Amino acid sequence: MMSSTASDVVSPTRRNRVTLRKTVISCVVLAVALVLAIVLLSLIGSEPLPARASLCALASLGTNTCGLTQDQFDILFQIRLPRILLAAAVGGSLATAGAGYQALLRNPLAEPYLLGISNGAAVGTMIALVFFGASEWTRPVLAFTGALTATLAVYRLARGRTGATPERLILAGVIVTTFLSSVIVFVTVLMDATRIRSFTFWLLGDLSGTSKALLPVAITIAIAGALALTLNARSLNLLMLGERDAFDLGVEVGRVRIVVFVVASLLVGSSVAASGSVGYVGLVVPHLARLSLGSDNRISIPAAALGGALFVIVADTVARTIIAPRELPVGAITALIGAPLFIYLLRRA
Amino acid sequence: MIYYLGSVPVSVDHSFSSFLRLTFIVCLTLFSACAANKSAMPNTVRLVTDDAGRHVSLPARVDRVISLAPNLTEIVFAIGAGDRLVGRTSYCDFPPEAKAVAEVGDTLHPSLERIISLKPQVVLISTSSQLEVFTRQLQNQNIAVFVTDPHDLEGVFRSIGQIGEMLAHKEQANLLVQKLRARANAVQEAVKQKPPVRVFYQVSAEPLYTAGHDAFVTDLMHRAGAASVTADVPGAWPKYSNESALAAKPEAIILPTGGSMGTANSDVTEALRKSPAALAGRVYKINDDHLARPGPRAVDGLEEMARALHPDAFK
Repeated sequence: MMSSTASDVVSPTRRNRVTLRKTVISCVVLAVALVLAIVLLSLIGSEPLPARASLCALASLGTNTCGLTQDQFDILFQIRLPRILLAAAVGGSLATAGAGYQALLRNPLAEPYLLGISNGAAVGTMIALVFFGASEWTRPVLAFTGALTATLAVYRLARGRTGATPERLILAGVIVTTFLSSVIVFVTVLMDATRIRSFTFWLLGDLSGTSKALLPVAITIAIAGALALTLNARSLNLLMLGERDAFDLGVEVGRVRIVVFVVASLLVGSSVAASGSVGYVGLVVPHLARLSLGSDNRISIPAAALGGALFVIVADTVARTIIAPRELPVGAITALIGAPLFIYLLRRA
Repeated sequence: MIYYLGSVPVSVDHSFSSFLRLTFIVCLTLFSACAANKSAMPNTVRLVTDDAGRHVSLPARVDRVISLAPNLTEIVFAIGAGDRLVGRTSYCDFPPEAKAVAEVGDTLHPSLERIISLKPQVVLISTSSQLEVFTRQLQNQNIAVFVTDPHDLEGVFRSIGQIGEMLAHKEQANLLVQKLRARANAVQEAVKQKPPVRVFYQVSAEPLYTAGHDAFVTDLMHRAGAASVTADVPGAWPKYSNESALAAKPEAIILPTGGSMGTANSDVTEALRKSPAALAGRVYKINDDHLARPGPRAVDGLEEMARALHPDAFK
């Protein structure tokens, strides 16, 4: 570490090369782990499937049944795999958004769930469900609108005359969260009694209603969002010095801010529209990424994206198997794992 | 009392102390009125035990009842005691006469103030409403709370008997139970020789909820010649795994819909679109009000299910 810092002064290009190599290595390791998790956890579920035949069918990408019965094939490719892929998209999206907010706002506690941005997206999705229930496309669009509105509200509230302090930001997040929570309660009470139970489940984060139409959207947005924020990672690194210093170093602060807000809102919006509010992912995963790989956003953002996908896949496997054939909401599991892990990280840091 | 209350705004202008004095007088008047009410209450009480195992003391004659569940409202009307009902929830929409009764909120969020102002002697509640805290508040107001908790059709008959006894409509209640029991027995007799149909009961599609072991409708399905594939799942309304639903290969699917549900839950969940039930066209929509309300119309639901599942048994 010492020697590389010394040589950095001499050659900035070499430092970039080192960072690039570190990024590539950590991303490749995480990507391999992610693919392994997708394949291996596809073998676990409330219905037992023959492992060898399932692996063979997965390897053929669904072109060969490998002796699975039609039902087993449908369970694997129509129910289990889409759900796992959605878990990956949701986890990746939330962790990327969390990493983006944390870098931009220079606040390690900035997280979509804690800042009320997930609640903004949830209000948008509920409006879509109540007024345009039939058309699935309105859900991510209104969820994005809600997330962006909540983001801007928190940002405006946090920037007082004295500037945005980390405490002020979290307080603004608390205000927006509680306000939007009461909006949600209000809508739930007004709504059909028959739908209340499913809504409470959904609000805690639930991946069982994987929609065929929204899955490709969620995956595309997750990948595009992670790439977009990674491409802005250098500017985000400079922003960590403070907005004024970053501006002096040539960062277009306003543009980066808009990019992060819009991209993160898209990420949160698409994941909330597909699965409800899954908490703690955007907090715990970027923390783990920074702790193990350092605070360079060029490494920590893509690593958080892959790690978040991994985290939610594992959490959802627990949620769908632990009391099978009944199910738990995945948000309960991420919070159960996330909150203690976060306390541990805080104490260690 | 009206005189005192009416003069309050004037007295505020004079001085705060006179306002305080007035408040004190108003309170005294209210208190004495309450005390008078209490002493006027009939001394003759009887002790009954409800489904929650609570001992409830009731006045000898019950004239004012509030029902906090649609099935209980239906029972009160079915035994001919609808005129005693002074309050109901917004979900209590049957029989049509019930709609003329004052509303006290919905099943989960009733208004305590409105209930108290209607001066009921008994409030009927169903355990599914989860109103434990609420029960305590009502008891503190000296209003008896009677809890019903039917898990099967026999439980419904028991509720009818209990409410009949409470409202001194015992004969009508017994007659009603006799008729309902005869109809239920006729259904069971008709389907007795038929092999049970493996049924999936879809409460909602997304997320997927079903009827578990403790659900009232599980007993109803059994009586209708069905074997619920989720009959052994713990709980009343568990959230169910999509893949387990697919793997269960139900021969028929029951969609409780219509009635107060409107068009909600009228489509089979995606995981079951290719199930033997869906492929054979054995998806039956049955009025949710007949299946979800443990009241007199549950026997209608039983007949509708049995006719749908075993049409040839009713020729």
